Amino acid sequence: MRNFILFIRRFFNLILFLGLEIVCIVLIEHTNTLQGNDIVSSANAVAGIVYKKQSDVVYYFGLRKMNDSLLNENATLRKKLDLLHSVDTLKDSVVHISITSNDTTKHVVKYADYLYQTARVINNSTNASDNYITINRGYNDGVSKNMAVLSGTGIVGRVEHVSAHFASVLSVLSAKLKVSAKLKDGTNGFVVWDEKGADILTMIDVPQQISVKKGDTIYTNNFSLYFPPDIMIGTVIKTEVEKKKGMQIISLLSSTNFHKLQYVYVVDNKMAMEKKQLEDSTGKSK
Amino acid sequence: MNVFIKNILRFTVILLLQVLILNKITLRWWSEPSGFPIFIPYVYPLFILLLPFETPVWALLILGFIMGISVDTFMNTAGMHACAAVLIAYLRTNVLSALLPRNLSEYSGQHPSIKSMGWMPFLVYSTFLILLHHFVFFGIELWNFSNFGALLLKVCVSAVTSMLFIIVYLLLFTRQNTARI
Repeated sequence: MRNFILFIRRFFNLILFLGLEIVCIVLIEHTNTLQGNDIVSSANAVAGIVYKKQSDVVYYFGLRKMNDSLLNENATLRKKLDLLHSVDTLKDSVVHISITSNDTTKHVVKYADYLYQTARVINNSTNASDNYITINRGYNDGVSKNMAVLSGTGIVGRVEHVSAHFASVLSVLSAKLKVSAKLKDGTNGFVVWDEKGADILTMIDVPQQISVKKGDTIYTNNFSLYFPPDIMIGTVIKTEVEKKKGMQIISLLSSTNFHKLQYVYVVDNKMAMEKKQLEDSTGKSK
Repeated sequence: MNVFIKNILRFTVILLLQVLILNKITLRWWSEPSGFPIFIPYVYPLFILLLPFETPVWALLILGFIMGISVDTFMNTAGMHACAAVLIAYLRTNVLSALLPRNLSEYSGQHPSIKSMGWMPFLVYSTFLILLHHFVFFGIELWNFSNFGALLLKVCVSAVTSMLFIIVYLLLFTRQNTARI
């Protein structure tokens, strides 16, 4: 026993060192799983408050830009609204079919149910290899893990850690996030990020024979559990053919400006749980 | 000023400097599309480097861990910074006693600085530990040693940048005693 105590006293520093390193490694291990820890993340109350204070100061410098982006977004939304309203007056008879909630034949996507919430970005990083964004909404506002986050112009990321008043969002600028996407003609693929800069994304798994032109738009598709369909991701700037796999690698210019994020939308897909359960039960989940 | 208050103040200043200012700076040395990866300077290990000479190793370890985990909290990197910070906190005493001519216990009431050690020994001391810190941190962050050259390049380049920031910090925050006699 005495020897044991002597041993501990002699190597106390080494033991403490090894203990702390093991704690660190356990922490690192845990974040790489989906249900990582919320304490050591910027969703933590202290970090959240510091970032909030900073954002309160920096906020005023970006008001003009934000105004412009909101105006642009309004314009696009108005355009879409007009497309839905306008009636071709040259046709003789306008048939107006009212859609009831029982109507299942006209609408292919009946059970899409998304809830949009606004949130302010209080911290943003674009230069790590996994980038996170902190927003000022937490589970008190109904934000939970794995909700999609969009900006006015495109996709942003997925909620990863949530506390009472803050949440940290894993941005698309991360090796951990893979978004299923489609080309204009409906070809599906995946969008990933390979650290080429904060505005360049890469689309993979597109077959070689599909012709992709510079300037084509890429959208999210219906497969994703979190992202609503037909949200713009970016425009094509370059295509390459990967000889080995016979697939194309498409470089995209992201439609979201990750340097200047101020407001985002948190999207809750109410059907995500049901869809995931069904897919898990068939064993073909993605 | 009391040494405890001084170090608590330094902890806060360095942490806020790192989190609120340096983390927002994106640096790249040449900007070809497939060129060099972007990086940010890490100045927070300086807190561990500047703790007084007679700090016991267990206190160094715990303070290093607290510093690392605070930076981790702000940067969402859970544990990566803490891992590297604890390592340099552990090796600090050995490096110091190898570099200094006298025994460490003879430097009571002082902390490692350009004034107490001289330019060359201090630069060697901080450069070595910063390089080690960056190597461990980027190694863990990347966790892919197939491209070892790129990792080494990233470590060296960002260590040089961090050292520049550290020297600027030291020049700004060291009291010039010669001015008031």
